[in-house]
Amino acid sequence: MNPAIGYAAVAGVSAVTALIGFYGLRVSRTTSDFYVASRTVAPWWNASAIGGEYLSAASFLGIAGLIMVSGIDGLWFPLGYTAGYLMLLLFVAAPLRRSGAYTLPDFAQSRLQSRRVRNVTSALVVVVGWFYIVPQLHGAALTIRITTGLPSWVGAVAVVAVVCLTVMTGGMRSITFVQAFQYWLKLTAIAVPVIFVLLVLTAGARPVSDGGAAFSTTLNTVAPAGLYRNLSLMTALLFGTLGLPHVLVRFYTNPDGGAARRTTLIVLGLLSVFYLFPTIYAVLGRIYLPELATNGQADATVLLLPGRLIGGAAGNVLSALVIAGAFAAFLSTTSGLVVSLAGVVSQDLFGGTVRGFRIAAVLSALIPLAVALGTGSLALAGSVSLVFAFTASTLCPLLVLGIWWRGLTDIGAIAGMLTGGILCAAAILAGSRLASSAPASSPLAASTLASTQNPAGFWYQVLAQPAAWTVPVAFVVMIAVSLATKNRRPGGITRIMTRLHAPERPLGQATVPAVE
Amino acid sequence: MNDDGETPARVRVVAPRNLAQRSPGPIPVAREVAEQTDVGEVFITSLIRSQLRLAVVVAAGFLLLVAGCGLLLALAPQLHSITVLTVPLPWLVLGAGIYPVTGLCAWLFVRSAARNEARYRDLIGEK
Repeated sequence: MNPAIGYAAVAGVSAVTALIGFYGLRVSRTTSDFYVASRTVAPWWNASAIGGEYLSAASFLGIAGLIMVSGIDGLWFPLGYTAGYLMLLLFVAAPLRRSGAYTLPDFAQSRLQSRRVRNVTSALVVVVGWFYIVPQLHGAALTIRITTGLPSWVGAVAVVAVVCLTVMTGGMRSITFVQAFQYWLKLTAIAVPVIFVLLVLTAGARPVSDGGAAFSTTLNTVAPAGLYRNLSLMTALLFGTLGLPHVLVRFYTNPDGGAARRTTLIVLGLLSVFYLFPTIYAVLGRIYLPELATNGQADATVLLLPGRLIGGAAGNVLSALVIAGAFAAFLSTTSGLVVSLAGVVSQDLFGGTVRGFRIAAVLSALIPLAVALGTGSLALAGSVSLVFAFTASTLCPLLVLGIWWRGLTDIGAIAGMLTGGILCAAAILAGSRLASSAPASSPLAASTLASTQNPAGFWYQVLAQPAAWTVPVAFVVMIAVSLATKNRRPGGITRIMTRLHAPERPLGQATVPAVE
Repeated sequence: MNDDGETPARVRVVAPRNLAQRSPGPIPVAREVAEQTDVGEVFITSLIRSQLRLAVVVAAGFLLLVAGCGLLLALAPQLHSITVLTVPLPWLVLGAGIYPVTGLCAWLFVRSAARNEARYRDLIGEK
């Protein structure tokens, strides 16, 4: 691939993002107070912004890569990523908005009236954020290497540099407009090239699914996933979305609880549309780029497919578009995470000053950079799903029980979160130790581990995808310890629950003037 | 937006330090009563219970559907031989067909949850 296309696309998307951030910021300053303005953000804008922040490297590149290597088993990932928002809608969206909390630690403290719960939650949020940024940087490294031929570390460093710069100068604050733009950019960048490819293929009477051969399991390069893996994966993805720090921040900008629900409903629609396209890329890739699945570069399918199937200038333009979309994915998710992490870290460690926020932002970006440079890239969608397993085992029980059960106590919450977190992290570490101890060169060993038919493979699956048992354990511990420490229930619980669940006053009585 | 073109003074926006901010404006009497009396507690408890029941029913329905899909795929491999335009049925269901169902569940929930809240408003005497 011509390196100039890669440079142009990356530079272009960075410049456009910075420009919109700059002008978006000026517009938002001339309206009125930031909080008032943010309370009047319409659900459509808000939903686009959530979609823009959520669709990460795993969605843009990773899902197509997984379907390339594992066929139909890979389809569970986009379903889980989308349906996670259904769970968010059912159990969290409106009450979280009504709590008025800007971050998860805020919510924990105001619900349980305990500084200690706040600290534990803050620590978990930071860990989750760091490990969510790492796959983004891996994705950037891959994209830069494939498209420009530069060494991998350049991509990761470039993303961190752009994000630090924009976050620190304030050009990329949580302005709804920037992130909303990112969703539509990503949708365009993934949809337009593949639609062109499909048109060209049908016009040239070339095969699209090769008479169904694209769906055959013989093209899979990994062993089929067992029932346990799919169950555990769905548990992680469905309940992990509830606790993602950069997503939760956005719910605060809804006008009220009802709008938070409508926003989530629209997010579901936006994600459903987006996730149709990686599957199409993967199906085409299984026919036209099968070598990517065997040489471990399946995550590059989306980047390479348009250029491979459409030659000439049109192919270059479409390639530039997908590269721009991928880069937008790394930038928006990383900056969303860095902003939300910096908010948490600066409040808890640096007293909430602007200077503290900047130091925290740099810290939040540099530590994952070090981890990303020190570790090899796993399959993108796979490593993100481990982060979901971790949030599902820690922050999800805190949110669900905190919102729906008045019996939750601070000690119970801490015990549940620590148990879930430690079990989940230990299982993932043990699983990867087990995988690396098996001779990696022989495909037989890999398929033994992936199959649940024999005991070694079963235990590997139980450790590598722990959500199916760590989530219930975390819930049980949280409930049991709360029951044992009944005397620590916060006072004024009825008032807190009323605030979480009672609908806001009808719109006519609102004292906030509507903008626009 | 202001039309006169003059730029207002820069306002520094910071997150609330610790505790969450309440929504601005005075709290109406009906809400005060609802929060602080025994009757109000009964009302809010019943609202929470009906919202939770609704959420659990929708979640259980959706999870059963997904689990059913997973089981069917695992137990009935012959489903793969049913194809529409060369695409096997399981691919169609998991790759596209299940998304509208997710949206439908979400839409039903949003409607019913709003209805529960309207009922609560009637109970505490808000318009």
